[in-house]
Amino acid sequence: MSEYGLRPGSANVQSAGPITFGPAGILFLADNGSATVFAVDVADQGRSAGPEPFDLADVDARIGSYLGCAASDVDIRDMAVHPVSHGVYLSVQRGHGAAGQAVLVRIGVPDGAVTDVPLGRVPVAQTAIGDAPAEDDQRQDVTLPTGDQGEEVTYGGRTIRILRRPIRTSTVTDMAYVDGDPGALLVAGLSNEEFSSRLRRIPFPFGADVTGNSLEIFHVSHGKWETAAPIRTFVPYDHGASILASYTCTPVVHFPLAGLAAGSKVVGRTVAELGSMNQPLDMVSFADEGEEYLLVANSSHGLIKIACRDIDGQAPLTTPREPVGVPRETKDLQGITRLANLNGGYVLALQVDGDGRRHLRSLKTASL
Amino acid sequence: MGGAAAASIAWSRCGGADCIRLSGLAAGLGGLDPGLSGLAAGLGVEVRPQLEVAAEGFPAMAGRLVRDGDDVCFVPRFGFADGTSYTIAVGGTTAAVLTRPRPQPAASTEVLAIYPTAAEVPRNLLRFYVWFSAPMSEGYAARHVQLVDATSNEPMAGAVLPAGSELWSADRRRLTVLLDPARIKRGLTAQRQAGYPLRRGEPFRVVVDDGFRDALGRRLRGAAERRYAVGADERRRVDPGTWTVFAPSGGTREPLEVEFDRPLDHGLLTRCLHVTGPDGLPVAGSPEPGPGERSWRLTPGRPWAPGSHRLIADPVLEDLAGNSVSRVFDRDLARPEDRPRPVSGTASVAFCAR
Repeated sequence: MSEYGLRPGSANVQSAGPITFGPAGILFLADNGSATVFAVDVADQGRSAGPEPFDLADVDARIGSYLGCAASDVDIRDMAVHPVSHGVYLSVQRGHGAAGQAVLVRIGVPDGAVTDVPLGRVPVAQTAIGDAPAEDDQRQDVTLPTGDQGEEVTYGGRTIRILRRPIRTSTVTDMAYVDGDPGALLVAGLSNEEFSSRLRRIPFPFGADVTGNSLEIFHVSHGKWETAAPIRTFVPYDHGASILASYTCTPVVHFPLAGLAAGSKVVGRTVAELGSMNQPLDMVSFADEGEEYLLVANSSHGLIKIACRDIDGQAPLTTPREPVGVPRETKDLQGITRLANLNGGYVLALQVDGDGRRHLRSLKTASL
Repeated sequence: MGGAAAASIAWSRCGGADCIRLSGLAAGLGGLDPGLSGLAAGLGVEVRPQLEVAAEGFPAMAGRLVRDGDDVCFVPRFGFADGTSYTIAVGGTTAAVLTRPRPQPAASTEVLAIYPTAAEVPRNLLRFYVWFSAPMSEGYAARHVQLVDATSNEPMAGAVLPAGSELWSADRRRLTVLLDPARIKRGLTAQRQAGYPLRRGEPFRVVVDDGFRDALGRRLRGAAERRYAVGADERRRVDPGTWTVFAPSGGTREPLEVEFDRPLDHGLLTRCLHVTGPDGLPVAGSPEPGPGERSWRLTPGRPWAPGSHRLIADPVLEDLAGNSVSRVFDRDLARPEDRPRPVSGTASVAFCAR
């Protein structure tokens, strides 16, 4: 793990956030308490799993049984599947407030055994989100230091010293890893103050100096209005060349990842709207018979399926109509809050039923 | 070992941690190594929380058995939860059910303030802040913060951005609540179908009820609310050039007063304005947003130096509708004057201490 810069240490996660797998079984965990992303070697010893589906009823109560608390005290905030063992990793916050505790839970496949993954004394690397944005990134907390901290800047013939500090509390809403040389962790966040669209691209292994840059993503709505908006969830596809992002206000926007310069403003292409009074919750990509598809889980509709070739062929939206944009199929699958690719043949869904009970359910991709 | 029985089973402490003590269970185990890993399997001790839903195959609570003399202690890996009952089984038979007490300390946390404090907000208001007197628990905002129509007293369903992550300050004392941006942005389906969350001329109240829990799980001392009138949309960039600066006298510690053309965002206002003196160095002092967030003042730590000063605005500074110094929230592509303005680092206003 040293080749990825991981050293023995602890991932002291205060508030469980999104998780996603990177190279060599490394798991990235976002801590929304300390605005930090950890890279942890989870040392998954599971054997290579097969193509079978995996279902587990009442996953929240099972975790509660293991953690010694009620199912209502188990807040499952994200889900990732180990690429080899297909073990299901859940980012869980146990309890509330001062008694709250972040726990990384592993569900064994196929036995359904519940364990927790140690985050202390493990190979770990970390990076602060918002540290050292690009030099020309205006969206940072600029203060005037009283000492000799910071840097000198000149404007209007006057030189002053300013200190660029980490951006204020930013809640990570989604993460994804894209291969490359180096690979990169993409992190979407929601600020608790300014309304902005920031997608950070953090090279991995985490650098000693540069911890990332941020891209300003705007989307053009109906060719008439352009706005910045925080990304709620996103998914890389086409081997990482493209990103499909869904916003807090439900437009679905395409933008190319390749060729984006640090700190640049990127105008995305709005390709769909998912309707009003609705929030996108998670997205996943999968392949079926050589075609790539995306699934979007959202708060008010069934699971939505979109073909990537339709995205590529979709002109920017210019004429409002409902439903707007790329052709999509809405499946009669309600209550899905999280999605992950299980094994190519199945997508794993975390689904809440009408009684509020949460289950893991495999969806056969060929039947979607 | 399945026939082993404990004389009593009770809450206790072991090695500085909460535990369940099974008295006498280790009697007769002889020189068995204390804390050995085989103890749990050998004694068949399992602890499970009582759940509304439970079925075969649910795992036992994570923890370890520690031998303490003739007693055996179950020390959980994750602490016992207040108010939860636990079933202790020995050798497959339920030996006891213990319920963790739920302390009910008196409520002491309250809402300190709701921002904005302006009496009137634009129809396209984007966010408000709720300040609490102590750190709070997450997971309660959606149910315990509401917008209510001030005329009908009906909750305004769908006005606030639903679900998803709550936005807290690092100390969990300030909650940021966003109105649904999809209903504020022009051109989006949600905006056309559901309309703005607010309606001009129709007052509303932001209500925080006492069910919101603080970090210790206690209810609030009482509910809190603030009433607002709703005015016209605000779609202009924040322009420091329109502000009125009341320059202080040199050699005094009079506050610098700045009046804005509209209310600005309270959260950003507290960190986005700074002053530099004739030497170009920052002026240290006590900044303070004014009433209704329509003004700002800086009382310097030392008397003002005579000469030229600058008031510096960070371009991220926004008004109540999310328009900032560098851009409007929702740009009409046909309006060239609304094009994002390249602001190199900061925007500033000059003034002279007399």
